[in-house]
Amino acid sequence: MATTEADQRKKKSDAFQYGTYSAKLTADDHKEMLLQLYLARYFDVRLIKEKKRGRLTGTLYSSHNQEAVLVGSLYGLKPKDWISPIHRDMPAFFMKDIKAGWRNLDRMGMSVQQVCAQVWGRVDSPGRARDNWSHIGSRSKHIIHSTSMLAGTIPAAAGVAYADRLSGGDAVVLTYNGEGSTAQGVFHEAINFAAVHSLPVVTVIENNQWAYGTPTYLEYSQEDFARRADGYGIPGLVADGQNVLDVYDKVLEAVDYARSGKGPSIVECKTFRAYGHGDHDDDRAARYRPKEEVEAGRARDPIAVMKRIMVERGLMTQKEAATYAAEGKSASEVSNEDFPPDVVAYLSEGIEFAINSPLPPAEEGGMWVFREEN
Amino acid sequence: MAVAEQVSSKKNYLTALKEAVFEEMQRNPDMVCIGEDIGFLGGAFGVTEGLKAMYGPERVIDAPISEAAIVGVACGMCLNGKTTLVEMQFIDFISCGFDQIVNMTATYHYRTAGEVNMPMVIRGPAGGYGGGALYHSQMNEAWFANSPGLKIVCPSTPRDAKGLLKSALRDPNPVMVYEMKELYRQNKIAEEVPEGDAALVPIGQASIRREGDDVTLVTYGNNVYHCLAAADNLAEEGFSAEVLDIRTLVPLDEATIIESLKKTNRLVVVNEAPRTCGFAGEVLARMSEEAFEYLDAPPARVTRLDTPVPWVKPLELYVLPSVEKITDAALRVCKF
Ligand SMILES: Cc1ncc(C[n+]2csc(CCOP(=O)(O)OP(=O)(O)O)c2C)c(N)n1
Ligand SMILES: [Mg+2]
Repeated sequence: MATTEADQRKKKSDAFQYGTYSAKLTADDHKEMLLQLYLARYFDVRLIKEKKRGRLTGTLYSSHNQEAVLVGSLYGLKPKDWISPIHRDMPAFFMKDIKAGWRNLDRMGMSVQQVCAQVWGRVDSPGRARDNWSHIGSRSKHIIHSTSMLAGTIPAAAGVAYADRLSGGDAVVLTYNGEGSTAQGVFHEAINFAAVHSLPVVTVIENNQWAYGTPTYLEYSQEDFARRADGYGIPGLVADGQNVLDVYDKVLEAVDYARSGKGPSIVECKTFRAYGHGDHDDDRAARYRPKEEVEAGRARDPIAVMKRIMVERGLMTQKEAATYAAEGKSASEVSNEDFPPDVVAYLSEGIEFAINSPLPPAEEGGMWVFREEN
Repeated sequence: MAVAEQVSSKKNYLTALKEAVFEEMQRNPDMVCIGEDIGFLGGAFGVTEGLKAMYGPERVIDAPISEAAIVGVACGMCLNGKTTLVEMQFIDFISCGFDQIVNMTATYHYRTAGEVNMPMVIRGPAGGYGGGALYHSQMNEAWFANSPGLKIVCPSTPRDAKGLLKSALRDPNPVMVYEMKELYRQNKIAEEVPEGDAALVPIGQASIRREGDDVTLVTYGNNVYHCLAAADNLAEEGFSAEVLDIRTLVPLDEATIIESLKKTNRLVVVNEAPRTCGFAGEVLARMSEEAFEYLDAPPARVTRLDTPVPWVKPLELYVLPSVEKITDAALRVCKF
């Protein structure tokens, strides 16, 4: 049964039709998007390896198999747009505006060095390692700082959007949330507010079928989390979260809608969490999730889906597609040779920087409770 | 039974909690457990592992990520005759259910002139020292101590963990149980834990962890162990410290503290929460009202700085109470 389901899904991808926005993407865009998929994947597997080697402490929340959601949603944004990533979106911090140059420090995304310094808990992290993992952000780079409180930044997203409009801007604010987090009261309050005021807020729901150890049918009574939009009278779109081009189309449709003043929308991206909730949960997840479900959920690796499309459209040869074979492999199976050298080099620069960055001085624990000077 | 996983008869804090939950579920068919990931997963830390398999999905509810609804639904069940055990995955997330606790649940008995009881227990992993950062390290008990109608306990040993949780589940009032997650799996403190009614530890009774004559260190939770270590340091300096674990914050066992002060005449109070309006301040205030005549020196408190709990180790230790900070404060009080 699992294989038939996987086959059906495969067929769906093969039948992919370009949408309004993806139809305009060039061959170079396709290549760049594929490269970014590799980059997000490499971030994940490399951190798992670093942790296994004992070079890293702290929990990792893997975005393995969900990379198309990040790449596809970020690709169509303008530099001035804001994003609000959460625990499973770590690569988003350095992939925002990455089109402006991976190593360009003036672009509107963080440097990979900064993000690695955060992961390693070092002073060169944007938050000087005061809080862990994804709890960073940057006002100047238009990245809202997350907390642990799920859905807690959507109200702030609405506030940022409101303020931007008040100042005559036309930026869009894109927030990310797991499907489980849509059950938070504040999710409802914030989107309702955004809808009433037609605020340019796009909420991406990363539906990876699980919220920690809880399956979707215990989180929401309908199949599509996008239907949450109906109650607010706003658009609710569903994207194939394994297909970076479909995510790109749906998110950009919502972004354009928002930018033109029509208000917020929700874009649900259907995907699947490859591993445990965090790396601490891998062993238990193997018990609470049926093996067949996990295999079916991982059957459509976003890297493979993109390669297939590119080969079909003649943007890549079969041979080229086989060169860097990261798809379908877990962190323990994959090696640096499975990734383009650029990708490996880029992240390695970040990690080297992080390792050489010092810990913050202890006294900083007592600083910045209040602003002291006026 | 799923809880008997340790070979030795000594049980750790986590196993003791598990035993309390399983025993009370067995004893009370009207008891319902509700929380995030408590069923299939068995809870983030495994306190309810095996519970759903044993008692079924009606009595062990895997709730959506909705803390306000979780507390509020539990409140409704209490209103309609059930006993409820609410798990907060981390006590930090309780802020998302705050209104349903302080306005809905805590006041119910009061505003109905005693018509309605709220046999609800809210338990969750709390406390710092584990590198959990701002939102996985909190001790926010003072928010609730300042909300009349809620009892608050904070066990520091496996026996107390089991005994207080069991008592909480038999109490007709809402009780908050602050569990020390850094103690969950500490083998050093594993001990024999009684079964059934013999395990009950009454709410509202302090416990003397170490006897002494020169100064009383009043504390609870993680800092019990820091105070015991500080007492060793003080002994080297020639001072004998009494370590008093209050175990229950509300209602506070003032009598035991006063008895101790009659003997030692010196007081240091330690809590992990921030200083301003932390529970240590409450203890000091009460003792200055009730036991002023027994004090030979101004009392002191050791608390977290008035900051959040930062992530990386040097910063975390900078803001939290430590053995050294407690020793120093006690020495100052002893040498006054
Ligand atoms: C308010 C709040 N409640 C509970 C948690 C604990 N928690 C962290 S992640 C998580 C599951 C989130 O699931 P989902 O939203 O689907 O995102 P995913 O992890 O699957 O990407 C839970 C319950 C939290 N961080 N915040
Ligand atoms: Mg999820």
